[in-house]
Amino acid sequence: MTQIIMPRTPAGQGQEPLYETISRVLRHNITSGRLPAGLVLIEGPIAKLMQTSRAPVQASLRMLNAEGLIHRFRGRGYLVGAAGATSQPVRKSLDEYDFDIPEASRTALAIRGTWIRVYDQVEAEVAACQIFGEFRVIETELAEYLGVSRTVARDVLSRLNERGLLRKGASSHWLAGPLTARTLREKFELRSIMEPAALRLATDYIDPVQIAAIRARIDRGDARDAAELEGALMRHCLGRAPNGALVEIIANNRLLLSSMDKALIDLGLPVDVVALDQYRTLFDLIGLRQVDAATEYLKEHLRILSFKSLARLKIVALIPEIETIPCYLVKV
Amino acid sequence: MPEEVRTEPKLASPPRVTRRTLRVRGTDVTLLEEVRLLAIEDLGFDVEFENLDFLTCQHRAAMDPLNYDIYEQCFHNLDIVWYWGALQPIETERIKQWDNIGSLAKSGGISKYTWQGHGDAPVRKLYVQPDGTLGQQPMPQISMLPTAHNVDSFGYDRRLFGEEGPEGSSWAWLLDRRARGRIALVDEPAIGIFDVALAAEANGDLTFEDIGNMTVDEIDSLMGLLETLRQQGFFVGSWVSPDQAEALVRDDRVSVQSMWTPSYGNLGKMSGIFCESFPREGYRAWHGGASLARHLTGAKLDMGYEYLNWWLTGPPGAVMARQGHYMTNPEGVRAYLSAEEWGYWYDGDIARCDLKGPDGRIVVRKGQRRPGGAYRERVSRIAMWNTVMDEYNYAARAWKRFIASLGTATP
Repeated sequence: MTQIIMPRTPAGQGQEPLYETISRVLRHNITSGRLPAGLVLIEGPIAKLMQTSRAPVQASLRMLNAEGLIHRFRGRGYLVGAAGATSQPVRKSLDEYDFDIPEASRTALAIRGTWIRVYDQVEAEVAACQIFGEFRVIETELAEYLGVSRTVARDVLSRLNERGLLRKGASSHWLAGPLTARTLREKFELRSIMEPAALRLATDYIDPVQIAAIRARIDRGDARDAAELEGALMRHCLGRAPNGALVEIIANNRLLLSSMDKALIDLGLPVDVVALDQYRTLFDLIGLRQVDAATEYLKEHLRILSFKSLARLKIVALIPEIETIPCYLVKV
Repeated sequence: MPEEVRTEPKLASPPRVTRRTLRVRGTDVTLLEEVRLLAIEDLGFDVEFENLDFLTCQHRAAMDPLNYDIYEQCFHNLDIVWYWGALQPIETERIKQWDNIGSLAKSGGISKYTWQGHGDAPVRKLYVQPDGTLGQQPMPQISMLPTAHNVDSFGYDRRLFGEEGPEGSSWAWLLDRRARGRIALVDEPAIGIFDVALAAEANGDLTFEDIGNMTVDEIDSLMGLLETLRQQGFFVGSWVSPDQAEALVRDDRVSVQSMWTPSYGNLGKMSGIFCESFPREGYRAWHGGASLARHLTGAKLDMGYEYLNWWLTGPPGAVMARQGHYMTNPEGVRAYLSAEEWGYWYDGDIARCDLKGPDGRIVVRKGQRRPGGAYRERVSRIAMWNTVMDEYNYAARAWKRFIASLGTATP
């Protein structure tokens, strides 16, 4: 597909590929001795620190590896320092070091940061509209709406496509939705296959102190809603599984479901206290390291959740398409 | 005693007691003025009825849960309100007539040999399971107290279709080419979709793997078929309320259409010409009931239970019977109907005299026999129930677009 690129950003800014910028920042911190030899570098935390996605971080780590500034080891990620040096892996957060992002790179990253913010907004909007049917996403309208170039708009849409929130129609149009009971059922079926498996894999990587903290929150009545606990389950349990690909598929598969929940909560769905109770039991079992019981319980919890989600989707039929659907989404 | 009675200052005249009020939100299926007046007479408090159309009623019951005390609707759309957390479970031990409630609601059919029917049979939504979901495993708590119910078919013009014959009519008549240009459908998606689906399956145009839970593809096929028929001019329009349906018949604008039982008594000179069918494929059934709002507690909750129990005392069931609807405890109703009324409405006998409807007008003429016969005959021939299927959101939106393209057939 050929399209005219409209350069909206001022010349000279954001021209350098992002992985170059990231490499420059990392190189600066390694050669200046801010990051000690043996420190484990994983793309997730670096991406977070620099407000970018993981892909360019991966590219820059490969680059620094080729340069000999970092090297691979038996674990996940890279170690600071040249290969051969018999340094023990140091697993500490980057926050604990005097990590420095030079001013020039900061500007370049900030622009990318905008991209990330823009992405989150569009992701939420595209996901939320799908309960109301099928929508076409108009790329030019999106660029206009966000005040960004068509290149950025297209990047955002490609990313949504990768994550399964959008697809290309027969005539190359971007299409979203509809979120039907069939989609919902399929996504929950995937969840009940993948999530118990991830929980099992993660067993030895789950931090018992974290689980105890979550349990305490539930007991104090501080847990706001089921969505919060679902997020905690993902972050502190499933996300710990030593299989990055599996964790990513799980996260992507949940996107549409959690945005549907969010849309329903916005419509006034009250807190599901039964679900809160079920999470309490689930975190108890995880805390007790009852692996078999916890995975079975998670499966049953997902079955009930699937059933309730199907029922809750029915009420959407009574709600007219909300006026707040942004202009770049056009009903098919 | 309520607070206000005790704090009232001593007066020479008797104290004015503010009457307590119970607010009922529902539809005109059960919210009849005759019912309300009977309730006020029998209960120690006032009863307010908020009478809404089906869809508005569900919507408001879910989204505006504090402004009613009792929700009177049908089992088939209970999911919408229940899973929104607007209702509370009913303890069956507080329902005096619980043991007299019929097995159609409690176990799915009037005998263990009858088929439950496709779709939302009330038993599948009746019992509150320990995980908060609704299911058919008997439990001491229920979601909705079963009350009025009936089996529906469609109405047809004898001048076009002739007599039904011993095999009965067929749902295929509802989309029959002979009636082209003189067909009307009800706009309610959980009902109208199934009227046409039964018709399309009966005439061989479509088949559904499970008509009570259609797939997206099946819904697309059905809507495609309807669009084709619409372009060929099959439909005169849709109707929203039963009086619109009755007007279409009286004005002789339809040869066949969706139609509900009470309407057959209001057809004027078309009575006997436009008839209630007895389809060989079976009926489309529905079951109404009453639920308790989530917010009820204490004395207000007691009033709620009083009202639920009152529904099964007989007099309201007699009002329902006079518009053709059955009650879940028929024997309790019998004492409040004349022998002629009971014979016609429940036993399928030939009417031995003219019979009056709830408002006193004559709705059945001497010599008529109820199509389909007695209660047991009719409810043992349920093909499916009104249903809010899994793909309801998808189907109802498609249906709404189709209905909008038809326009309302206002006479």
